Order: sequence, then structure tokens, then C-alpha cells
Amino acid sequence: MKDLRTEQAVDAKTVKIEARKAQVFYGTNHAIKDVDVDILDKTVTAFIGPSGCGKSTFLRCLNRMNDTIPSCRVEGKITLEGEDIYDARVDPVQLRAKVGMVFQKPNPFPKSIYDNVAYGPKIHGLVRNKAELDEVVEACLRKAALWNEVKDRLHSPGTGLSGGQQQRLCIARAIATSPDVLLMDEPCSALDPIATAQVEELIDELRANFSVVIVTHSMQQAARVSQRTAFFHLGSLVEYGETTQIFTKPHDPRTESYITGRIG
Amino acid sequence: MSEQHIARAFDRDLEMIQALVMKMGGMVETAILDAAQALESRNEELAEQVRQNDKAIDALELKINEEAARVIALRAPTASDLRLVLSVMKIASSLERVGDYAKNMAKRTQALAQLGPQGAVAGAGASLRRMAKAVIDLLSDALDAYAGRHLDLAQDVRARDRDVDQMYNALFREFLTHMMEDPRNITACMHLHFIAKNTERMGDHATAIAEQVVYLITGELPDDPRPKAENVADLATGKGG
Repeated sequence: MKDLRTEQAVDAKTVKIEARKAQVFYGTNHAIKDVDVDILDKTVTAFIGPSGCGKSTFLRCLNRMNDTIPSCRVEGKITLEGEDIYDARVDPVQLRAKVGMVFQKPNPFPKSIYDNVAYGPKIHGLVRNKAELDEVVEACLRKAALWNEVKDRLHSPGTGLSGGQQQRLCIARAIATSPDVLLMDEPCSALDPIATAQVEELIDELRANFSVVIVTHSMQQAARVSQRTAFFHLGSLVEYGETTQIFTKPHDPRTESYITGRIG
Repeated sequence: MSEQHIARAFDRDLEMIQALVMKMGGMVETAILDAAQALESRNEELAEQVRQNDKAIDALELKINEEAARVIALRAPTASDLRLVLSVMKIASSLERVGDYAKNMAKRTQALAQLGPQGAVAGAGASLRRMAKAVIDLLSDALDAYAGRHLDLAQDVRARDRDVDQMYNALFREFLTHMMEDPRNITACMHLHFIAKNTERMGDHATAIAEQVVYLITGELPDDPRPKAENVADLATGKGG
């Protein structure tokens, strides 16, 4: 078997997202404390940690999904390519076109497969005519490794696909707006092992073009797909480093306890 | 790590593998001790026993490798657990080699006994037994360092292998002298020299085990050059002295 990871040596050192002293409060609950992290371009970064440690909360800060929660307050500085994403002049809708997101449960729009992918480029005005739109839809479905399975039924409903196909459709939809960053919140937890492997393979391919941040409960998945891993515990970022280092010789005893499956 | 896994069976698996390694270590130490004693007293029966017992040591290595493979497949160990599983496989492999050297010593003991009076070289048996004793000490300390996760003791073993090297150098010259004095000594001295060389190699394996202990504890293999004193190659080319 060939190892794609060494073949596609696309690890870049360019910082895509930079967080400094990021804090999140839900009302009085201090959910994220002083998180400093540099998310690299063309790299898969995994966030791991026990339930309630804040990894999803932090992920949702990166495209301002937390704005939709009234009691939620974000402090500190988070920049995307040097620009503060919490600046008053930033339009969250535009931001989310640049920072795409895929959720735990596949959530295709109740529309055709074609329209699911076409929706983003259409509303953001990224295409000029139907021919261009067709091209974008095909390209995204191909990137999401779904094209061959759906090319003959592009106009049947997206909800009619299998779970794994739906999730890949959501990924195709997320990359249709040509984002810089793709956030994935447990993208495989509702999928069977085969569909999981397909999505993981896809993540590895996406790394050539995007910066991918994935939240996962499966440490094996984090080890398999990511090049960098961040371990969160009780709202703090405990350790962040090369995935290999985290899984062979973590520096922090809390990381060690968590990844080896000990009470920590 | 003193904490326990949430899955208790994982702890039991790891403990079991470590117990097998310690058992194997004990058997190997006994093999060296018996082989050295058989050599000194030309006890063919004891030598035969050492040769027979080696099968059990080999079987134990196989068992350790199987258990390690099982833990890797079923538990996907990470961090210190992963290092533990990797190190037990390497330690078992070192112990197996040491067992083979002890077996070879027993085999050569039988050959020497067959030589009768021609097989006797004054003082060699006692010297080799002292060397074997030093190796047993190294091995037992390396295994203690492993069981108790003692970094200092492991480093100490690495340093002490030098003494064994020096004993080997001394024996090398001694055998050379005997052979030059009387060619009839050559057969016996060749056997004795191989025994000495193999014992010196046992010391290297004890060192390799100590290095695995360092890896297990720190996550890194020692990168400083290990103190060595084995220099017979220089002697042969006339560089040493």
C-alpha cells in the first residue's frame, strides 16, 4: 500500500489561523481559557479531548458559529490570514464562506444533490452562468469522491443518499465556496467504518488545497488523519504539537493519561 | 504511569507481558550461570541441560511477541503504553540472543570435554566464569531497571559494559599467548575464545536492554556514544597496545 502522507508532502509552515488568549464565556461559564494556537495552512489539525473540554466550542469560534448563541461571548484575538475575524467590519456570512464547516450529522438541504452543492456559489455570486456552475458542482463532487456515485442522478434529493454519501455531499457543499479553511466537527461519528475510511481518505486529499481542522472523539482517527494535534482539557489547550509526537511521547502528563485511556 | 487504565483488562495485558519478560530474564540468567559452571567443571550433563532449556527461552520469546502483537491489534497502545510494547519485543529479542550464546557456551563445553586433557587451559574457566558473573550482574540490573523504571540504573548498566569489554580483551591476549606457546592448545583456545567473545556480546545485549529502558522512560534512545573498551581489532592490526 502506498502511503499518501509521504507522497503528498504538502505540509506548509504558513500560519492560516492564529488565536491569542482566546476566551469563550457562555453566560458566566468560562468555557475556553487563554487558548493560543497557530493553525497551519495545508495541514490537518485535530482537536481531541474529553466531552465538554471545549474543543467544539473553540472550533465554532473559528468561523463565528458561536455568534448564533445569544449568551456566548468571545474574547481575545483570532485572526485569519492576519485579519481579526471578530472585527466589527467582518461579515460573518462572508467569513463562513471562507471558513467552511461540516457537522457531526450529515445535514444536506432538502434539495437535489446538484442544488446542495450549487447553493453556496450561487448566493455568493461566485459563478457567472449555468455552465460555470455545472463545472463547479462537478469539480466539488469529484473532490469529495462522490461524483461517480451520483453523476447519473444529480437531480434526485440529497437526503436520499446513504449516510456516508450525505456526509461527502456536505463536504462537497462546504468546499464549493472555495474556502481557505474547512472545519469538521466529528464528521465521521455517524458513519460506518467504510464510509469513515472514505471520508478520512478525502480529508487527506483535501489537505493539498485547504487547511482542515477536525474535532474527533476517536483518537485513532486523529492519529490517522492529522499532522498536528491539539489536546484540550477543561477549557484549556494542554498540549499542541506534531501528531506523531503527541501519540508517542506527549510532554504533558494529562495528555498522556487521556490518550492512553487512563483516568486523568 | 502509576494510574490505571479505564479498561482494566488493558492493565492486565501489559502486566502479563512484563511478567513474561521478567520470567524470560530469570531463565536466561540461570542459563548463563549454569553454562559458566558447566564450563569450569567440564560438566557435560549440566551443559546438556542448558542446551535443552534454551527451547523454553525461545518459546517464551515467541509468546511475548504474540502477546505484544495482540495488544497492538486490540488495544492500539499509545505514548508510554506503545513504548512499553515496543520495548518488550526488543528486550525479548535481546534475551533470546543471550540465551543462544549461553547455549553455544554449553555446546563448546561439551566439545572441550571431549578433548580431554588437551581441552584444559589453566585459569581460563575461572576467568570466563568471572566474566559470565559480570554479565549476569549487568543483565539482572538492566531487568531491575526495567521492572522498577530506574533511569539511573539503566545508565549505569550502559557504562559498566566497559568492564566486560576489558575482561574480553585480557582473555583474548591470554588465549593468543597460549596458542603461540603450544599449537596443541589451538583447538581449545579457539573454543574458549568464541565463548569469551559470545560472553562479551551478552554484555552488549544487556546494554541494549538498558537502552530500551531509557527509551521506555524518556521516549528517546540515549544518543551519547556508549563507553566501549573492546579493542581486539586494534590489537590484531597492531594499533592497540
